[in-house]
Amino acid sequence: MKLRADLVLRTIGSDHMIVDPSQDMVDLSTVYTLNDSAAWLWEQLKGIEFSPTTVANLLCEQYDVTAEKAAADAEILIQDFKKQGLLEK
Amino acid sequence: MTLTTSTDIQKKQYKIADIILQINYPIVLDLEKLLPTFRDFEWREHSSNPVIQVNLTTDKAPVEPDMGMLRSDLSISWGDRFCFYEKEEGYITTIVNEQGNELWYLYSERNFAQSTVYIPESNDYEQSTVICWMLMMIFGQAALLHEIIMIHGSVINLKGQGIAFLGKSGTGKSTHSRLWLNHIAETSLLNDDNPAIRVTARGVLIYGTPWSGKTPCYKNEAILLKAFVRLQQAPENKFEALQGVKGFIAVLPSCSAIRWNKDLFAEMNTTLEKVIAKVPVGFLKCLPDQEAAQLCHDRIVDIAVK
Repeated sequence: MKLRADLVLRTIGSDHMIVDPSQDMVDLSTVYTLNDSAAWLWEQLKGIEFSPTTVANLLCEQYDVTAEKAAADAEILIQDFKKQGLLEK
Repeated sequence: MTLTTSTDIQKKQYKIADIILQINYPIVLDLEKLLPTFRDFEWREHSSNPVIQVNLTTDKAPVEPDMGMLRSDLSISWGDRFCFYEKEEGYITTIVNEQGNELWYLYSERNFAQSTVYIPESNDYEQSTVICWMLMMIFGQAALLHEIIMIHGSVINLKGQGIAFLGKSGTGKSTHSRLWLNHIAETSLLNDDNPAIRVTARGVLIYGTPWSGKTPCYKNEAILLKAFVRLQQAPENKFEALQGVKGFIAVLPSCSAIRWNKDLFAEMNTTLEKVIAKVPVGFLKCLPDQEAAQLCHDRIVDIAVK
């Protein structure tokens, strides 16, 4: 899977966000806010093909977590990205 | 023999928010009469490569078998007389003329640097209003690639610095500006509807433009932007400073960019990101009274000092 290439992660002060312009007639544009670790992961995953394992490995390298916890967190994050439509179709 | 030759085309340049807009028009049109609000923006030094070019023509609009994808068919200004289409290479905007027998037809390249307006059967007043509106639309999009955002709001000049009031149509932006003019010393109106903002080495500037809604206030001036304040009608007056993403979200809906052009939309966000890093944002729930203006003024002076 891949992150949508048209989305840009932006930082304002200590906040991270992504603006997704609605393409429908009615403006239902969305602003997503990301916490520090999600924003860090977004930067790492930008432009590359990745799997849940890629995400879990990144989490293990960066944070002091067990492999099981990292795998579980990676799964949650990917489900979240998928649900919000932030991944390439 | 043809009736029109290339010598019948005149050109005139305007400088708006430091951007040169050139209009190419047939000699039969009296441009100064059509665009009275542009008078102070005329650029006489003549630039050889204007950023925006707009051709006005009385030729018949092209008949397109495929108009492209209909992106919008409603506009605050034109109601259901308006349609906006996206094609691969550009955009088509149409507005039914007042007589209802022909279309105003605007074709713009994807980045809005080049556009052509086909003028249908219409009277002077209609020509003036529609062309002025189309130029605003074109400018608002074309400016995005130059770190300029046209915003919807009313701007007060307080001792040489700008305060931009934002909010949905009908919220009372102009009313709130009037309250400042009446009750706060050293204030004047910079623009009442469509100012432009730009990031410069000096800081974020806010510019008057030839577009100012119902208020005749077309000043060719630029001042430092001190703050944005989003307004909302309420039974009491309450001011809140908005930090980070909250500030961004409060300003975003007042910025002009077509959502369907992701490149222009992303440019706008990149500029807005820089703007928000420098300019404080407030949220004012308010009544249309003197106390609201006073509270807003005091709190802005407060957050600007911090």
